[in-house]
Amino acid sequence: MDRRTFVRGSAAAVGAATLPHVPAQAQSAPDKLRFGYAVTMSGPLAPGADSTTISAYKLWQKRVNDAGGIMLKKYNKKVPIEYVSYDDQGKPDELLKLTERLIQQDKVDMILSPYASHMNLASAPIINKAEYPVIMTTATTNKTYEQGPRWPYAFWNIAQPKASSGALSTALADLKKQGKIKGRVATVHPTVEYGVENNEAFLVAAKADGIEVVFTKSYPLGAADLQPLIREAMATNPDAFLAFSYPPDTFMLTEQMQIVGFNPQVMYVAIGGVFPTYKAKFGNKVDGILVYGPADASGIGMDEFAKAHQAMFNRVYEAGTVNVYSALQITQEAIETVGEIDRKKIRDVIASGTFKTVWGDIKYVNQLNANPWAVGQWQNGELACLFPSDKAGAKPMLFPKPQWS
Amino acid sequence: MILFEVFLNGLLLGGMYGLVALGLNLQYGVARILNLSYGEFFLGGAFAAFFSLMLWKLNPLLSLFISLPIAFAMNWLMYQYLMMPLIRRAPDQDGLDADVVLVTFGLLFVFQGLTLVNWGGEVRGYSFLSVPVNLGGATVALNRLAAFIGASLLALALFVVLRHTRVGGALRAITIDPLAASIVGVDVRRFSALAFAAGGALAAAAGMLVSTFISFSATTGVEYTLKALIVVIMAGVGRVTGTLAAGLLLGVVESLGGYLLDPALTIAINFSLFMLVLLLRPTGLFTRA
Repeated sequence: MDRRTFVRGSAAAVGAATLPHVPAQAQSAPDKLRFGYAVTMSGPLAPGADSTTISAYKLWQKRVNDAGGIMLKKYNKKVPIEYVSYDDQGKPDELLKLTERLIQQDKVDMILSPYASHMNLASAPIINKAEYPVIMTTATTNKTYEQGPRWPYAFWNIAQPKASSGALSTALADLKKQGKIKGRVATVHPTVEYGVENNEAFLVAAKADGIEVVFTKSYPLGAADLQPLIREAMATNPDAFLAFSYPPDTFMLTEQMQIVGFNPQVMYVAIGGVFPTYKAKFGNKVDGILVYGPADASGIGMDEFAKAHQAMFNRVYEAGTVNVYSALQITQEAIETVGEIDRKKIRDVIASGTFKTVWGDIKYVNQLNANPWAVGQWQNGELACLFPSDKAGAKPMLFPKPQWS
Repeated sequence: MILFEVFLNGLLLGGMYGLVALGLNLQYGVARILNLSYGEFFLGGAFAAFFSLMLWKLNPLLSLFISLPIAFAMNWLMYQYLMMPLIRRAPDQDGLDADVVLVTFGLLFVFQGLTLVNWGGEVRGYSFLSVPVNLGGATVALNRLAAFIGASLLALALFVVLRHTRVGGALRAITIDPLAASIVGVDVRRFSALAFAAGGALAAAAGMLVSTFISFSATTGVEYTLKALIVVIMAGVGRVTGTLAAGLLLGVVESLGGYLLDPALTIAINFSLFMLVLLLRPTGLFTRA
């Protein structure tokens, strides 16, 4: 026989002699666990996808593989993760094609969430039909309430509009009851689905909570000058200014409010408010600003996570990355609980378990994260998670927002 | 009072539009290359300014010492080695436009990809001259005002060069008719390359100035190529002073329109004006045709 066959044969013999006894019909362990994902890697959404989602995927793979891989009890073996990844170019129909490809051609073991609400939603029916459990990590839209129940295999990790806008309304109602504010609110939002839905959800909640919305207007995403809009809002003399904004306008509104000297006692910006680059730009002027989707250092394993992230990417982590990473931790734990790739069982474990993650304790009720961190605040240069106020680790709100000099 | 402030901010916004378009006007007007990767050099200027302040703690203006030469050199090389072959084989301007659009579109993605890989995808911004200035009762941001002044100075410099220097004369000759220019002894290739490279450098300068008040990320280059294109077409290809004027018009109409009608309509108003100009004066507002 040739050398190759001899080596293989010897290895097999040694392996057979040293492995614990396995029943006659057990298959051999897979040598890789193949995780597939189609995420936006080009086009306008690519930066967000890279920062929030893809960095989490890369970091997780490195940390898991450095520890040997995911433990499959059935084979009593740790199996490393291998990715099959595609660029969906930010186009839903491209995403559909690629998801089908991951399922039918690449036959991956598990699928990971795409990036952005409309993309998460687009892939949900497909992964559900093929019975791949996926925790969607970047969708916040009313559609998850309406259509979520149709897709038992899709889970939704972040705060949906009613949760985040509702939390804001409740907080304002509390302040009003304590006599700290009159309860007059101005809101602005970009004319995209996220802005419209969150603004709407707030209007509904405010009405129920007795908060008066004295001003509400929208602006196009990508507007180059929001100063006139801010002036208009300022003229109504509100206690609180809420912007259901996207990163470019989150940055611009904050800067221009400082230029014109608009200093509401409560200020909220949405997407991008948690970005380290937001804090880097505004320094200590971010203190007191409320933001969407925070993560703080209280989650389990956050210290090591922060260090590992810094080591791999040479930059501070973004809160969104913590959220995505928590979904990966849950996925891993579910696989390890089941002991093998049995996607139905994995789905059931995710649906019924309570998980301790870097993003706090997570439990899904009807596939929706029961109480994700929805609203946070910059306090002394660090992010503090405020709402849900009854979640372990919640901090009290700093009121009023310190005046910008 | 607010109306005056809105008008003033509209002027500053317009100055920004004009600034962004100056370089593209040189590239398209003189060198006759519709460079879709233009915005990537704009972005390069923005990144250089960002790193200058945030990493090396230097005044972002100093980043121009790096970004201008690099943008100039890269565009010059692009013209000589990527565009010249296309120019040589194109049967006419339309054929050239088609080839150039495809090639520069591809370049756009190459640069974008490199930017994403090297510098990541986060949205970036920094605070520079982020203080209010009182102009006749209206509040404007000092950084926007500075960008406006920068735009005016650059446009003035360009105007002076074009009108009162030999190089400028050669560039204008090429703009009017490259063949005739070559007949009277203008080295068309050399001056076109110069114009193209200068256009790229102007893009980087614009990027530096605009980055002081607008956040950006690896993929915002395309946005600015589009903005520049609209202004160039509105002004009439090749008209430098027209570029600034068209930008100002766009900015003022957008600001006032948004304030008087609805802020949600600002971009719609912007494009409506553009469409109107195209319908009424297709060659541009400031051409003699």
